[in-house]
Amino acid sequence: MEHSPPKSLQNTHVKLLAFDLLSLTPTPDPTTFSRFGKLLLSRVEILGTITSRDYKPNKFLKFTIDDGTGSVPCLLWLNHLNSPYFSRRDPPTVRLIANVAAGFAAQIKIGVVCRLRGKIGSYRGEVQVTVSDIVIEKDPNVEVLHWLDCVRLARKCYDVVSNLN
Amino acid sequence: MASSAIKSGALVTLPELNPSSQFFEEGASLRVTGKLQEYSVETAIAIIADGSAILKIDTQHLRDLSFRVGSIYQFIGELHIQLDNEAILRARVGRNVDGLDLNLYHQSLQLLRQFKADHMSGTTT
Repeated sequence: MEHSPPKSLQNTHVKLLAFDLLSLTPTPDPTTFSRFGKLLLSRVEILGTITSRDYKPNKFLKFTIDDGTGSVPCLLWLNHLNSPYFSRRDPPTVRLIANVAAGFAAQIKIGVVCRLRGKIGSYRGEVQVTVSDIVIEKDPNVEVLHWLDCVRLARKCYDVVSNLN
Repeated sequence: MASSAIKSGALVTLPELNPSSQFFEEGASLRVTGKLQEYSVETAIAIIADGSAILKIDTQHLRDLSFRVGSIYQFIGELHIQLDNEAILRARVGRNVDGLDLNLYHQSLQLLRQFKADHMSGTTT
């Protein structure tokens, strides 16, 4: 049987359930992860309840999101004003990015339901999401609708893209 | 990584949570949903109900959550089986979910479980 190369949805924030995200496998490219060896992903959108919070001021906020199918470790960087990575960039822009991140950190509290987008990465061999955007959800039905979105997209899109020859 | 030790609360309905259930296990991490029937400020014990099924919730570790009888709440925590085989959930997370469509929730939960089972067996299509 002929093997087709994996398809890619790397430029999309793919909606995934936690158990699906946590089962992704790394590839030789550290920014890319594989779903069943058939679909390459780099960005994700997840939604769930915040169940832990580890805050290091001016460094990072680590937290976990539980959607009922798994717990996803997430990382929000807060080191923009003292990181050499940002020192060569336009200072007002860096301050703006730092303020946005600080605003996100203030909203992340245990028990709130949060939708987030970010880059898929790994830390000590486990999948971790580096956060780029956060929205706190107030509607109690939003988590259920997210489950249904994820199931529909997996069945009608991700699996279909994976199987295209 | 410390945070990865936080276990996910498995989604379970109160009618499913009986002694013969796979979820009825000491230390099991669960997420339960139900209408608040009783709440004691002295003991911080809440009782939630879904139909005729009820569950005690130990809320002593929860902060910033006000309890109103008749409202719907969702809790994530660990199950403890007492000597009389009565279960109590020691909640570490709780929130008011008034407005949650419980019919949609229960139906979606069945779909979610089917999808997960298919995924685990590698037949998601």
